[in-house]
Amino acid sequence: MNFSFDVIWHNLPYMLAAARWTLLISLGGMAISLVWGVFVCAARISSGAVLSRLAALYISFFRGVPLLVQLLLFYYMLPYVGLDLPAIAAAILAVGLCSAAYSAEILRGALQTIPRGQTEAADALGIPTFSLWRRILIPQAIRIGLPSLVNELILLVKVSSLASVVGIGELTRISQNITGETYRPLEIYVAAAVIYFLINLVISLLGRLAEKRLQVA
Amino acid sequence: MKKSLLGLAAVVGVSLGLASAAQADMLSDIKAKGKITAATEMHYAPFDILKDGEYQGICHDLFVEVAKELGVEAEFLDLPWQSILPGLEAGKFDFVNAPVTITAERMKRYNFTLPIGNATVALAKKAGDDSISKPEDIAGKAVGSQKGSAQLEQLKAFSETLPTPADIREYVNIDEALADLAAGRIQAVANSMPLMGYAAVQRPGLFEMVMPPFGDPKYFGWVAPGGEGSETLIAAINDALLKMHEDGRIKAINEKWLGSNPELPTTMPDVK
Amino acid sequence: MEFDLFLRYGPALLTGFGVTILCWLVGSFGGLVLGFVLACLYRYGPAPLRWVIYAYVEVIRGTPFMIQLFILYYGGPHFGLLLSPIQAGILSFIVYGSPYFSEIFRSGFNAVPHGQVEAARCVGLSEGRILRRIILPQMLVPITAPLTNFFIILTKETAILSVVTVPELLYETQTMAAETFTFVEPFLVLSLFYWLMVIGTSWVGAKAEARVTRHLRKA
Repeated sequence: MNFSFDVIWHNLPYMLAAARWTLLISLGGMAISLVWGVFVCAARISSGAVLSRLAALYISFFRGVPLLVQLLLFYYMLPYVGLDLPAIAAAILAVGLCSAAYSAEILRGALQTIPRGQTEAADALGIPTFSLWRRILIPQAIRIGLPSLVNELILLVKVSSLASVVGIGELTRISQNITGETYRPLEIYVAAAVIYFLINLVISLLGRLAEKRLQVA
Repeated sequence: MKKSLLGLAAVVGVSLGLASAAQADMLSDIKAKGKITAATEMHYAPFDILKDGEYQGICHDLFVEVAKELGVEAEFLDLPWQSILPGLEAGKFDFVNAPVTITAERMKRYNFTLPIGNATVALAKKAGDDSISKPEDIAGKAVGSQKGSAQLEQLKAFSETLPTPADIREYVNIDEALADLAAGRIQAVANSMPLMGYAAVQRPGLFEMVMPPFGDPKYFGWVAPGGEGSETLIAAINDALLKMHEDGRIKAINEKWLGSNPELPTTMPDVK
Repeated sequence: MEFDLFLRYGPALLTGFGVTILCWLVGSFGGLVLGFVLACLYRYGPAPLRWVIYAYVEVIRGTPFMIQLFILYYGGPHFGLLLSPIQAGILSFIVYGSPYFSEIFRSGFNAVPHGQVEAARCVGLSEGRILRRIILPQMLVPITAPLTNFFIILTKETAILSVVTVPELLYETQTMAAETFTFVEPFLVLSLFYWLMVIGTSWVGAKAEARVTRHLRKA
C-alpha cells in the first residue's frame, strides 16, 4: 500500500480550518454540559417530587433519543415555536443539553459518596442551600467524578461530528468530503484522528492537572 | 405558514404524504429574495466535490449557470444525505442540486428537473486485475455497491442474468466499497459511470474502469419539493438547461470534468 | 406515516436489532472487563507498564470510533489482517470502550480514602482482600452511575458498525430509508429501539445502584 503524506499535507489546512468548528461546538457544548448538568443533578436529587421527576424525564429523553435525531429536531422544529436558531447555535445547544444529562448523572453518583452528615451539619449551622452546594457539595462531587467527567467531555468532542447534519463543515465531515475527492480515506482519516487526539489530549491533561490540585492529602 | 406547518408535521412524524398540498409559488419567492439556496452532498465526484476547501464539480458549475439564467444568486449548503430530504420538506433551503437518479418511485414524492448527468451503472476493478475485462466477468465474484442506490438495483438485475450470480455486498457509502476494493475483500464496485471514471482517474495505479456500462440507461436529475409550488421553478430551470444545451455550456462543463460529453436527453426520460 | 413499511421491513429491522444487541453486550462487557484489568494494572503495576496504559488510554479514548474501525477494517488487509465485519466490529468495540471503563474505575479507586487502605494494611489484610472487601464495595457507589452512562453511550456507538457492513440496526434502517425514500419512519424506528435499550440499561443501573448504596441508607 502506498501511503501518501502529500495528500495529508495538501489537505491539512482545510482540515484544521474545519477543526475550528469542532472546537467551537465542543467548547460551547462543554460549558452548557457542566453548568446545566449541575442544575439537572440538583433537581434530580431534590426533595421536591415534581422537580425530581422532571429531571428524571429530562435525563431519560436526552440519553434515550439518539443525538442525531435531537439535532434534527432542534434545527427543523424550533423555528415553528418562534426560535429560528442558526445552525451553529442549534448544534451547540443540542450537544450541550444532551451531554448535560450525562454530566448530571456522573455528579449524582459522586454526590452519593459524600457523607450525609456534611449536609446535616451545614443545615445545623444555618448555611444557605446555595452556599452548601457551591462551597461544599459541588467541589467534592467534581473531585470524585472528574475522570468520568473528562470521559464525557472527550465523548462530546467526538460527537460534535454529528453537527454535519445541520450543515456545519466540522472535522469529520470535511475529512469525508476530502476522501470523496481524493479516494484516499486511510491517509485522511489518520490525519483526522491525530487532530482529534491532540484536542482530547489537552482536555485530558487539564483534567489530570485539576485532579492533582483537588486531591485531598 | 402552511409549508412550515407541514415541515413540523414531517419532522415530528405526525403525518406524511401531505407535503404536496398547495404552497406559495417558489419561483416568485426566490426571485423576490434574489437568491436560491441549494443543498447537496459535496461528496459525489465529479458532480459535487470539495477540493482545496472549495465546492466544485459538474453540479456546481451547471447550477451557477442556471442561477444566472434565473437572474438570482446561488447559495450552496453541504448536508449529509439523511438530512437533505427533511431539510427540503421543512423549507430550510429551496432546492437539491445533488445528482439524484430519476426513478418512478422518487418522482411520486419529488419534482425532478431534466437530466443533468448520466447515471448508468458501470464497474470499477482493481488496476491490473485481468480476470475482469467485461461486466459479465463478475459472475461469482464479490461486488460492492451503495445501499439504496438505483445503481445497486441495476447491478442486482444484471447479476440475475449471469450463469452464477455475483456476491453483492451493500455499503452505506461508496467510499467504503472502494476502500474494500483496495483492501481486496471485493473484486469490483458498481456505481454510476462518471463516479467510477473519476475514481480511476484519481487513483490510476489502484482502480480501473470496466467497459462498457451495463443495464438500462439512467439519468441524474435535480430535485425540488413535490407539489404545485415548485412547478414554475422546475420549468424555469428546465428552460435554462435547454438554453445551455443549445449554446454549448453543458457540453463545455462536462468536457472539463469528464473529458467527454455524455449526450444528455433534452426531454424527460421515460421511467417505469 | 406509512405503517405497511414497518410490516415490510419488520423482520429485517428486528434481525438488525438482534445484531446490535449482540455486538453491544459482547463489546461493552468485554470493554468493562478489559477496562477493569487496565485500571488495576495502572494502580498496582510498575512504572513502565503504567506509562503504556496511560498512552493506550489517551490514544484510544482521544480518537473517534468510526476512524479506528475504518482503519482496522479497511487498512488491516494491507498489513495482512483480514477480519470479517462482525469480528472487526466486536474487537474494535471492546478496545474502544476499555479506556473509558478504565478511567471510571480509576475514579472509583480515587474516591476511597487512602487512610482506609493504610489501616487495612496495618491490620494485616492482603492486597486482594483489601480490594475485594474495602475498596470495591465503596468505589461502586460513585461509579455505578457513570458506568450506566457509558453503557448507554455505547448503545448508540453500535451504529458506527454499519460503516463496515455489520448488518445492525442502523444498517437495516438505512436500507429502509434508501429504498422507500422515507426519513421520518426510519428515525422513529431507530429512536424507539435505542430508547428501549436505554430504558433497560437505566433500569438495571438503578437496581445496581440500589444494591451498592444499600449500606448508606441503613445508617
